[in-house]
Amino acid sequence: MNQPEPTIILDDVSYRYPRSKRYALRHLNLAVSRGEFVAVLGENGAGKSTFCQTLNGVIPQTRGGRMRGRVIVSGWDTQQATVAELAQRVGIVLEDPETQIFTTSVLNEVAFGPENLGVPPQEILHRARWALEAVGLNGYEDYAPTALSGGQKQRLAIAAALTMHPAVLVLDEATSQLDPMGTVEVFSVVRELNKQYGLTIVMATNKGEQVAQFCDRVLVLHEGELIARGTPREIFADTELLERVMIRAPQVSQLATYLEERGVHLTDFPITPDEARRGIIHSIRGSH
Amino acid sequence: MNNNEIAIAVENLEYVYEPQGLRANKGISLTVRRGEFVGIVGHNGAGKTTLLKNLVGLLLPTGGRVAVDGLDTRQTTVAELATRIGFVMQNPDQQLFAATVEEEIAFGPRNLGLAEEEITERVQAAIALTGLDALRQEFPPALAKGDRAKVIIASVLAMQPDIFVFDEPTTGQDYKGCHQIMQIARQLHREGRTVLVVTHDMALIAEYTERTIVLCQGEILLDDTTAAVFAQPENLQRAQVTPPQITQLAQALPRELGLPACALTVEQLGQPIVERVRTNQALDLTMPLR
Amino acid sequence: MSTLVQYIPGESAFHRLDPRSKIIFMLLVTGVIFIVQSLWVASAMLVTLILLWFLAGLPFSVLKGLGQATLGIVAFLIVVQALLYPGETILVHPIIPSPVPIVGGVGRVTLEGILFALLLSLRLMAMVTLLPLVTITTPMHSFLLGLVRMGLPYRLAYTTTTALNLIPILQAEANAIVDAQRLRAFQVFEKGNFLEKLRAYPALVTPLVIGAMRRAQLMAVAMDSRAFGATKERTYIQDIRMRRTDWAFIVCSVAYVALAAALNYLAL
Repeated sequence: MNQPEPTIILDDVSYRYPRSKRYALRHLNLAVSRGEFVAVLGENGAGKSTFCQTLNGVIPQTRGGRMRGRVIVSGWDTQQATVAELAQRVGIVLEDPETQIFTTSVLNEVAFGPENLGVPPQEILHRARWALEAVGLNGYEDYAPTALSGGQKQRLAIAAALTMHPAVLVLDEATSQLDPMGTVEVFSVVRELNKQYGLTIVMATNKGEQVAQFCDRVLVLHEGELIARGTPREIFADTELLERVMIRAPQVSQLATYLEERGVHLTDFPITPDEARRGIIHSIRGSH
Repeated sequence: MNNNEIAIAVENLEYVYEPQGLRANKGISLTVRRGEFVGIVGHNGAGKTTLLKNLVGLLLPTGGRVAVDGLDTRQTTVAELATRIGFVMQNPDQQLFAATVEEEIAFGPRNLGLAEEEITERVQAAIALTGLDALRQEFPPALAKGDRAKVIIASVLAMQPDIFVFDEPTTGQDYKGCHQIMQIARQLHREGRTVLVVTHDMALIAEYTERTIVLCQGEILLDDTTAAVFAQPENLQRAQVTPPQITQLAQALPRELGLPACALTVEQLGQPIVERVRTNQALDLTMPLR
Repeated sequence: MSTLVQYIPGESAFHRLDPRSKIIFMLLVTGVIFIVQSLWVASAMLVTLILLWFLAGLPFSVLKGLGQATLGIVAFLIVVQALLYPGETILVHPIIPSPVPIVGGVGRVTLEGILFALLLSLRLMAMVTLLPLVTITTPMHSFLLGLVRMGLPYRLAYTTTTALNLIPILQAEANAIVDAQRLRAFQVFEKGNFLEKLRAYPALVTPLVIGAMRRAQLMAVAMDSRAFGATKERTYIQDIRMRRTDWAFIVCSVAYVALAAALNYLAL
């Protein structure tokens, strides 16, 4: 059967920031299929943000520097198309809620992108309504973004990216500055967008525990290289890998590893509390 | 140095932000003894940062009283308080300005008017404790995020306070960064200092602190040992605080399995499970086949 | 500080004016205020602006805040001009007599100097009342669209409004930096003399500048990601329309500044 062309393709991509000798990305080769939810893990400085920003052309077009290899998104080469063209295929939400807000009302904020593209006002309002609904901010149109909580601000940033009708949504450490409640808000919205609207999601994060239950696949970056890829279960069971790249597995996974090392095997390697609960009950009752 | 057993005494602290009239702290009372390691948690807007600012004198209570090392914050300058209580603010980028890490760390002691030899000694001690030796001559703002945080901790350390307060030190840090910062906090504690940490990372609270204070809507909701606090899911929910995943798991397991209802770390739940399974296996061998 | 330029929603007639008429008003008044030499006319203009403030229903607290902010500069102006302005009516004789080269004449206070200082102060106070009058009664998207419809390229208009929006943010950051340095026993701003304050500036300016540069870079990435500057045919979800009241207001503004200019000419 013929597999559809992957939505994102990285072909031997290496990248160096301007005035830097060190390569932030080295020989990345990977593909993301349409509708996939991919988590990108790695320590700070491993290249997660850099990778995210290559997906909409900001790297290398806005940031400069030297890039080798190709990044193809929805068939468009990120070094040939303009960032504005790419913005209609890939939406990006950045880490800092403050510096990605450009207007003084929620409605204007989500309209900012399509306005820049010259979309007719009626169409913009239509898209705005849909986007705000999708992130749970309908009713907040007249609010000043500064009055929103951290979680709301990031949801607003998501909505502002959605109004450009991208097929891919990239979240570059979008929950790092948020409290747990805000983090949950963002994860819920992102999961909905993936499941209900079929958006391809690429999420760079340090919060492995939270992302484990939502993502289809995990990419692990270390010093600019892709050193591991697999399902969350595979990655979080690989203790040697986790130690090497200093990534924290979900506590329930850590528990499973702890038990495994002492001869107690849980049937399915858990990445959520529910799975762990079932596994433990089975192990204790089942061994009766 | 002060021999007072009580490091921090807060009596009915009220703080209202004008002109909005926002009551951020509503009658908070708490005491912290020398040598404690306390975690402070609560939803955003619960009044945590306001409380911390009141402890170091950046804000003065609009009602009630705050005393650090026996000194009333209303009658002591921020500079004097800074030699008793060190505050590591959340965003280190707001303070770094010197040409080298050494100069940055020396800034505080220099402001205190100390002699050069004293300053050098303090800088050296701070660099040693935070592991910044290799980065001495670097330009602080150009360092990686984790290192910048360490530089700030070192600069506060150079003021040699006995009490250390960390405001959300792990936000935006990766696991390695969090770990290094908490290890430093632990080391400070081991050397006899009083440490307070405000954070959203419950796993860290469970791992490092002995006592946890939960703030909710400007008031103290819970103030108890960390284990006791995490054993109260309904209260925690009110404060929008989620216990660590391992604790949630422990609480969700059926009680008849004989496992601890409240586990704070992987080991605390893991060990009993291993024992249960082994016991059951042993029993199996001695029981007749069904 | 944010309340000094930030939009406050309201229903006054001034609020409902098209941003273009307000911008034109602002430009006309600014033009005239710098031509006016007569202290009487300048004072009268300041008074009318303050009246307009209350007619627009704007809060007194903000006006008071503005007044307090300018007080320092006003005092500085008076001292400098009193001492340095080349006037003839001597009120206070120089410490060092004039014939002495270079430093001769230092310490001399003239009447003209003081009057000139007053004029500058009135101009300053008028400007400080005028600008917020427009920014507080006009939402940012309206102001932006007004500038664009008047011919300013979008990028320039956007830069202007963003700069205005950044003032309170940078102010808050500056305060946070001062607080952070105070925690390291930095007391120069509470206790230092002028020279010490000057030498201590790096501790405040460096973090602020670095912060601003970081912010600029982050904003650039975010803006490009939302197709900023993609096309010259940018659309706007809101629209602005000149009504009869607006034209009437413009006519009144022209009459007002013409009157001020005429009175000024007569007074001199």
